[in-house]
Amino acid sequence: MQAVEGATDLAALEEARVRFLGRKAHLTVLLRSIPELPAQERPAVGRFGNVVKKELEGAIAARRDVLEREELVHALERDRIDVTLPGRALPLGHLHLITSTQREIEDIFMGMGYEVAEGPEVETDYYNFEALNHPPDHPARSLHDTFFVNDLVLLRTHTSPVQVRTMEKQQPPVYVIVPGKAYRRDNDATHTPMFHQVEGLVVDHGITLADLKGTLETFAKAMFGEERSVRLRPHFFPFTEPSVEVDVSCMICEGAGCRLCKRSGWLEILGAGMVDPNVFDFVDYDPEEYTGFAFGMGIERIAMLKHGVTDLRLFYENDLRFITQF
Amino acid sequence: MKAPLSWLREYVPIDLPAHELATHLALTGTEVERVAVVGVSDDPSILQFFVVGKVVACDRHPDADKLSVCSVDVGEAEPRTIVCGAPNVAAGQTVAVSLPGAVLPSGMKIGKAKLRGVASAGMILSEAELGFEAKSAGIMVLPDDWSAGAPLAQYLPLTDSVLEVEVTPNRPDCLSVRGLAREIAAITDRSFPEEESFSYATSARRAEEDVAVEVWAPDLCPRYAARVIRGVTIAQSPAWLKARITRAGMRPVNNVVDVTNYVMWALGQPLHAFDLARVRGARIIVRRAKPGEPIVTLDGVSRTLTSDMLVIADAEQPSVIAGIMGSLDSEVTEDTTDLLLEAANFHGPSIMKTSSALGLRSESSTRFEKGLDRNLVLPALEMASMMLTDICGGTVSSGTVDVLAEPAYPWDLPLRPARVEAILGKAIDQAEMRAILTSLGCAVVESDGLLLVTVPTFRRDLEREIDLIEEVARIHGLGNLPSTQPMRPEGRGGLTPDQRLRRLMTDTLQGAGLNEVVSYSFIDPEWLVRLRLPEDAAARQPVILANPLSADQSVMRTTLLPGLLATAARNLAVREERVHIFELGATFHPEGELLPRERRALGLLLLGPWEPDTWVSAAIPTDFYLIKGFLERVLAALGVEGEYQPAAEPFLHPGKSALLRLAGEDVGWLGEVHPLVLQAFDLPAGAHAAELDADALVRGARGVSLFEDLITYPAVEQDLALVVDRDLLAQRVVQAVRAAAGPLLRRVRLFDIYEGPQVPAGKKSLALRLTFRSEERTLSDEEVNQVRATLLLDIEETIGARLRG
Repeated sequence: MQAVEGATDLAALEEARVRFLGRKAHLTVLLRSIPELPAQERPAVGRFGNVVKKELEGAIAARRDVLEREELVHALERDRIDVTLPGRALPLGHLHLITSTQREIEDIFMGMGYEVAEGPEVETDYYNFEALNHPPDHPARSLHDTFFVNDLVLLRTHTSPVQVRTMEKQQPPVYVIVPGKAYRRDNDATHTPMFHQVEGLVVDHGITLADLKGTLETFAKAMFGEERSVRLRPHFFPFTEPSVEVDVSCMICEGAGCRLCKRSGWLEILGAGMVDPNVFDFVDYDPEEYTGFAFGMGIERIAMLKHGVTDLRLFYENDLRFITQF
Repeated sequence: MKAPLSWLREYVPIDLPAHELATHLALTGTEVERVAVVGVSDDPSILQFFVVGKVVACDRHPDADKLSVCSVDVGEAEPRTIVCGAPNVAAGQTVAVSLPGAVLPSGMKIGKAKLRGVASAGMILSEAELGFEAKSAGIMVLPDDWSAGAPLAQYLPLTDSVLEVEVTPNRPDCLSVRGLAREIAAITDRSFPEEESFSYATSARRAEEDVAVEVWAPDLCPRYAARVIRGVTIAQSPAWLKARITRAGMRPVNNVVDVTNYVMWALGQPLHAFDLARVRGARIIVRRAKPGEPIVTLDGVSRTLTSDMLVIADAEQPSVIAGIMGSLDSEVTEDTTDLLLEAANFHGPSIMKTSSALGLRSESSTRFEKGLDRNLVLPALEMASMMLTDICGGTVSSGTVDVLAEPAYPWDLPLRPARVEAILGKAIDQAEMRAILTSLGCAVVESDGLLLVTVPTFRRDLEREIDLIEEVARIHGLGNLPSTQPMRPEGRGGLTPDQRLRRLMTDTLQGAGLNEVVSYSFIDPEWLVRLRLPEDAAARQPVILANPLSADQSVMRTTLLPGLLATAARNLAVREERVHIFELGATFHPEGELLPRERRALGLLLLGPWEPDTWVSAAIPTDFYLIKGFLERVLAALGVEGEYQPAAEPFLHPGKSALLRLAGEDVGWLGEVHPLVLQAFDLPAGAHAAELDADALVRGARGVSLFEDLITYPAVEQDLALVVDRDLLAQRVVQAVRAAAGPLLRRVRLFDIYEGPQVPAGKKSLALRLTFRSEERTLSDEEVNQVRATLLLDIEETIGARLRG
C-alpha cells in the first residue's frame, strides 16, 4: 500500500500496479493457484485474496485520480500564453458619418410617425423652383447657385422638390421626411458643391406654426440632448410663409457664448416655415382646408455640431482616418 | 447692409445697447451679422483728448524738410507746440487735434514725442486718422467758427457703432437706413416719422427747358424722373459726410457722388448724377441696348451689351447700364457745374438678368433687382436736391421731368383674426395686430370682425393675407408661441420595405468589415476614359453639366468605380495600405425623356490584404473569391440567389471577372480590376471591385421568410466526387446535380477541387456534399441511394460527369 500511495507520478503508480496486480504478481499467482488448493482452503484463500486485490485496485485508482489531476494542472501551466498580445485583426467596418447621422435623424422622425420619401437628384426647374413658388424672375433664385444640365433640367439645389412630388402623389395627411443629396455651385471652406439635406413636410387639418416649434424642439432634444432649447427667428424662404430659421442652444457653452456659436449662445440648425399657399395651389391642395409646415436641415451641419467636426471638406475626402472614427 | 447707429437715430430714438438691439432685430427677422464699434472709443476719458485747435503759427522744422513746427491754440493758457507732417498745414487754420493720452481708431496712442529734436505735445489730425476715409492727402481743415479747445466730438461723429445686417431678398425696403429705422421703431414700440420734408431754393428756370426724357421701354422702366441743378462746385465732401459714407461701407468720391450715395443709403433709392454738359442733345433716352453696343463702365471695363439690356442713353450713345453702373464718359468730373439728377424705377428681374449676364453687381443693382417702390423716386430727388444745394451749392431748376407709365397706390388686404390663429396656433389680440401693422406703415380699419389693412407701396412683399400673418407673427415674437405637436391618430411612420433592405445591404457590408464612403456625384469625364471603356459604351455617355465648377467635376457619374478608385488612391497616398470600402449611391444614365434615369448602385473596392500581417498569422490577401464572398453575403442577407458567368468588361481582368445575373437579368459585375486601369489611377495591381444595381437586388429580395421545418425529420448527407471536364464551370455542375436530384435535395456544397495525377488529363474532380431532406418523413438509405443512382446516370448524360473511381 505504501508503494501505491507513495507513487509520485503515473509511471511509478503503473510500476506498483504491475508489481502487485500484474500477471506475475504474488497475488495474481496466488489467486490463479486456488483451484489447485485443497477444497476446504479455497474459500478462505479466495476471499482473502479478493479483498486484498480490491483494496489495492481502489488505492491505485484513487492515486491515479490524484496524479492525473496534478498532471493536468502542470500541463495547463505549461500552456500559459501572453494574454496581453493583441487579438486577431478582425476588420471593423464603419458607416460614413453622413449616413449614420442621416439614420439618426430619420429614426427620430420615424418615431414621431413620419415616413421617408425620396426623389431624383437631377430635377426639373419646375419641381426645384417653380412649383416651390420661385417663378422664373424671382430674386430668391439668385441665392441658389445652380448647376444646370440644360434650360429645363438641373441638379436639385435642395431636397424640397420631393415635397411637391409627394403632395402630387397623395392627399393629406402627409408626414414625411426626405433625406438626400443636393447640389450648389459653391466650393469654399463652408460650402461643398454637393451636400446632404433632410427635408420635412407635414400637411394635415389644423397644422400650426406652434406645431412646427414643438416638433423641432422635440427633434433638437433627441438629437443634441434633453437640456437643449430651441428658438425660432423670422426669415424668408419663397416656399414657406411665415418662414423661420431655427437655432439650438450651443452645446459647448450651454448658451454662455463661445467660439463655436460666435458668442451668441445659439447655433443655427435649420430653416423652416408654414407651407406657402402658392405651393398648395401647384398641387391642388385647398389652403383653407389644410395647413402644413416644412423644414430643411443640412446633415453635414448637424454632424459637425454633434461630433465637433471642424472642417466640412473632410466629409468628401473619404480619408479612412476620418471615416473610421465614427 | 451697414447702418451706423448715429444715422438710425436720426429717425428713431435707440436706447438699447447695440448688442441687445442686434438680438432684438435677429428675433424679428433682421439678421445682424456684426456690431462694429468704429472710430474713436466712446470712453470719455479718451474722448477728452480730441479737441478743436487753431494754428497760431507754422514754421518749417529746422532739421526736416517735410515737417512743420506749429503753435496751436487748444484753449489752454499757452499754445502747444505740435510737429506736423502734412503738406497743407498753415497758420490761421482751424484743425482737429489729439492731445497726449488720446488713442486713434487705428489703435495708435498719442504721447509726448520728440520729432527730429523738437518736442511735440499732440497731433494735428487728418480724416483718415479719424477713420472718416481710407486715405487722406493732408490734415482736415475745419470751419473757423469752431472754437479752440472745444471737444471735437461736439462737432464731428468721432465714435459710432455700425450694425451689419443681412436683409432677406423680400425686404428691399430694409436696404436703407430709414427702412431699418422703421423696423427698429416697430420692434421697440417707438413712433416713426412717416412724413419727411426737405426744403431748398429753386430757380425760375424749369427742368424741361434743359432736358427731354423719352422712355422707349416702359416695361423695363416704369418710372424715370429727373431734376436739373445748375452751378454746383465739385469738391470733397465735408468730414461728417465722408464719415457716414465710409462707415456705411462705401468710398467717398466727391460731394455730388457722395450725396447720391448717401440718399441711396438713407432711403433705398439709387440715384445717378450726370454732367448735364455731357448729355448729348440734351436728351435722355431710356431704351434697350442695340445688339453688340459697347460701353466702358466706371470700373474701366469695356462691355458689350445685348438687346435685352436696358440703357440710359443720350441722343447718341448709352451713358449708363440702367440701374447697374454708369459709363466713364458721362461721369461727374471736377469741371462739372450743371447736374442732371436721375431717380428711376426699373424692372427688378431685368436688372438681375443683366447684372448676372455681365457679372457686374453694384449697390444700385442689388436694390433694383429686388423690385423697388416707384413712389420712392420723388422723396429721393427731394432729399438729394436739399443736400446738393447745401453741400455743393447751385440752384435747383423748378419742376421734375417725371415719366410715369402707371402710378402705384396702396392696396387693401383683408385679415381674418381666426386665420391668424389657425396659422400660428395662438390667438392674437386684435388691438395688438392693429398696432403691429400700423407700426410697419400700414393703415388698419376694422370691419365685420375683419381687419382691413392698407399696405404702403414700399411693402411690395405684402401681397396676401398670409404675408400679413407673417408680419404679425414676427413682431409679436415667435418666442411667445406655444410649443405643440401635431396629433396623428392614424399615423404609421417608418421605412418602406425597400428602404429597410437598403439599410440591410449597407449594414451587412459594414458588419463584415467594410467602410462606407460618400463621393461626389460629378466626376471627371477623363475617368471614364481611364476605365478603358470604348467611346460608344453607354457608360461613356454621361449627363453633362452646362456650368460645372471645373472640368474634373463636369459630368454625372455613370458608375461608382472611378470614384472608389480615386478614393483608394488618395488613401494610399497617405499610407493607408488596406482600403476596403463600399458606397451606395445614384448613378445617372441619360435614358429618360427629360430627366436621366437614376440607378442606385452598390459599389465595393478591396485593395491591400484583407487581414494585415500580424504576430499571429500571415496577411490574408484579397482575391476574386474574397470580393465574391462579400457579394454572396449581401445576397444571402437579402435572400437573393444569383448566377455568375464570366465577364468581358474592359476595366476588369478578363479571366478573373464575372457578371452577376438575377432571374435572367444582369445586375452587376465583380472581379479583379484591369492592371492598366489601376495604373491609370496610380494604384498597385491586385485591387478587386464590384458594382451592383441595388434597386434590382431589392426588387429580387425575398419578402417575408417562411418557416421551413429543418428539425422534425433529420437530413441525410452524401458526398459525391465527380470527375468532369476541366473547363466545365462549377456552377454548371451544381445546377446539373440539382436538376437531376429533384426536390429531396435541399443543399449542395462544393467542398473540394482536385486536378492532378489521380484524374485523367483535361479533367478535374469536384467533391460535393449533398443534403437530402423530406418534410414528411425520415428518409431511408434506400430512398436516398435510389435518388443518387438516378442522379449519377442523369448527370453523366447532361454534363459528362462520372463518379471518381
